[in-house]
Amino acid sequence: MRNTVKIQILSLLVLALFLPWQAIAQDFDLKAYRLRFKLETTKNADGSRTLDASFVGQNKKDRKDRLPVHQAEVVFLNTHEDEEVELGKVNTDETGTAQLTLPSDQNYLTDEEGYIEFVARFEGTKEIKKKEADLKVKDLFLEIQAEEIDSVKTVVVRAFALDSTNQRVPQDDVDLRISVRGMLSDFIVEEGSTEDGIFEIEFPDDIPGDVNGDFTMVAFVEGSDDYGNVEYTLDSDWGVFDDVPQKEKNELWTEVAPMWMYVILTIMLVGVWANYLYTIINIRKIKRLGS
Amino acid sequence: MTTSSSKQIDPAFLKSIEGKQSLSKIWVGSLIILLVLGLVALVYQIVKGHEVTGMRDNVVWGVYIINFIFFVGLSYSGAFISGILHFFETPWKNAVMRIVEIVTVLSLVVGPIFILLCIGRLDRLHYLFIYPRIQSPITWDVIAIITDLIGCFIYLYLTFIPDFAILRDKEDLEVSDKRKNIYRFLAMNYQDTPEQRAILKKITRTMSAMIIAMAIVAYTVLAWIFSLTLQPGWNSTIFAPYFIIAGLYSGVGFIIICMYLVRKYMHLEHYIRKIHFVGAGIVLLVMSLLFGYFTFSEYFQRWFSHKIHDMNLLDTLFDEYFLEFVLANYIGVLVPVVILFFKRLRTIKSITFAAVIAVLGLWLNRYLIVVPTLETPYLPIQDTRPEFLHYTATWVEWALTLAGVAGFCLMFTLLLRFVPAIPISEMMEGQNKKNNGHRAKKADS
Repeated sequence: MRNTVKIQILSLLVLALFLPWQAIAQDFDLKAYRLRFKLETTKNADGSRTLDASFVGQNKKDRKDRLPVHQAEVVFLNTHEDEEVELGKVNTDETGTAQLTLPSDQNYLTDEEGYIEFVARFEGTKEIKKKEADLKVKDLFLEIQAEEIDSVKTVVVRAFALDSTNQRVPQDDVDLRISVRGMLSDFIVEEGSTEDGIFEIEFPDDIPGDVNGDFTMVAFVEGSDDYGNVEYTLDSDWGVFDDVPQKEKNELWTEVAPMWMYVILTIMLVGVWANYLYTIINIRKIKRLGS
Repeated sequence: MTTSSSKQIDPAFLKSIEGKQSLSKIWVGSLIILLVLGLVALVYQIVKGHEVTGMRDNVVWGVYIINFIFFVGLSYSGAFISGILHFFETPWKNAVMRIVEIVTVLSLVVGPIFILLCIGRLDRLHYLFIYPRIQSPITWDVIAIITDLIGCFIYLYLTFIPDFAILRDKEDLEVSDKRKNIYRFLAMNYQDTPEQRAILKKITRTMSAMIIAMAIVAYTVLAWIFSLTLQPGWNSTIFAPYFIIAGLYSGVGFIIICMYLVRKYMHLEHYIRKIHFVGAGIVLLVMSLLFGYFTFSEYFQRWFSHKIHDMNLLDTLFDEYFLEFVLANYIGVLVPVVILFFKRLRTIKSITFAAVIAVLGLWLNRYLIVVPTLETPYLPIQDTRPEFLHYTATWVEWALTLAGVAGFCLMFTLLLRFVPAIPISEMMEGQNKKNNGHRAKKADS
């Protein structure tokens, strides 16, 4: 029994060695930080909506020193005048972000102009005061139409909102960009604004796709004061299939040298070392002849 | 049949081997002091790191590399000269042959040590062999040096065999039994029989041809380490032949100096005569003219083409390194040319003086090839502290340089206590031929 306790204590001590000492030793003076609480919304391609609340402290003297507020409970609300509907509660992660995704069929309270008001609220603790951020956005719909008109690949993006009778209302001057989804980042094809709710571009015909020539086209409105972030995607087969790169040849800059180098080097070394061997054999012959 | 025990050997050859010649204790002591100083510097460098040298981010090569090129150049030129002397059976080869061979091998032993001093992470040295890149001139150089070193050792040994046999068979040779046993072992039962002589002659001749080729290949590869980069001052199509000529220039000069010292301190005036100095001096004259021609071509082309980075380099050379430039490329070429060109000036001392000037000039020329180029890079570095931009060798580097030179001199001195400075067998063969010729003439008359 005593041995078990000893082993447990020793194990804990060993484990403690692996703990980052900063986790214990580092002490933050919150007064040195200005806490920033921000709210953003993104309407996703499938119609769902994501609410992102960012809770980060920024050093007053050193703007590069940012301190995320971890595990802070954020309440997301949909408000209209005095009415509040709680959408959900999420704790901030290690980056200080609390994210809530609402389904595409979520009903929202809206004002007369169709704006939805979101509020993110942190109720506060002993150390940190209550924080609140709000945001008003209109529910924007995007639609991508990709077709070849007179052998010209044309992409038309329609931006509209719905009125109370669910009728489409085209939205003008919506700044958006059309891009192609990539593995690390999107490749921007064109940027511009809608006119009469339409943004039309001639799509290039040399965009690489996957092995089947497919790629995902993205229409994106970023950081709009009226709409927030809005994304819409469309799978397309307009991509060009890039051949799988050929196996590298033997070159100066590749891992394996040009073949002629191996041949020349081998011939030279074999020639020289064979002569050494021949000399040594003859030295032994001299020795034999003398004995 | 014995080689020579019954034959007469000039006691002058054997004096140093028998330890009768006064091997100046001051000389050996001074060399050992320099070696110890170098050892202290080496330990200091290993403990403190390369920070104790003048090498920094820009100038990553300093006097270590210069010494390496210099010594390896001596070796390759020695191999070249030795091969030529042997292959073409030059009449006066006997007087200088042994000195050339010893210089060849010893400088090839000392030279690469400077590379090891230059490497920051010696613990990764074996990576060169584990992960070689056949495309890299560094790999070629490693292969070339190792192959050449072994070739030179074999060649040197072949030329020593008859002398080892003579020393083995000389019963009245006053050396220890242990030393005699070593001679017996190294002589390989050589009895100078016609068969043995024929075999030895054949393989020595083949090896002499081989080391001429290897010297050219190996020194070309060393030149390519520089010229295959795009650095101003290095990227030149004539760099390989330029290096070979420069190596031969310094090599011939160094051999003349060694001849002078051996002649003077081993009392071999009867064997190493003025005619040998004049012959070597004329070779030095030809080499100095060729070296001057290559140097002029190299700098003139850069000056005329007026490319920005080449001009920056020339500005550095003519501004910060003007004195060194004049000493290396004017004094180092013109003084030997003037001394050696006029017959009246060709005395043993003046030829040796010309050789000293040539060797020092060549070392300085190497310095001007390596350092100013690294001080004028294509892109300026961010940290522009003066000590990062400009190179000055520290006491550690000088101490290790002197230790390298001392090591060479000590090995040279000790080796001449083990083998004769002049090949006895060759001298005796020459004497026999002469005697036979006289006898034949008498018989005819």
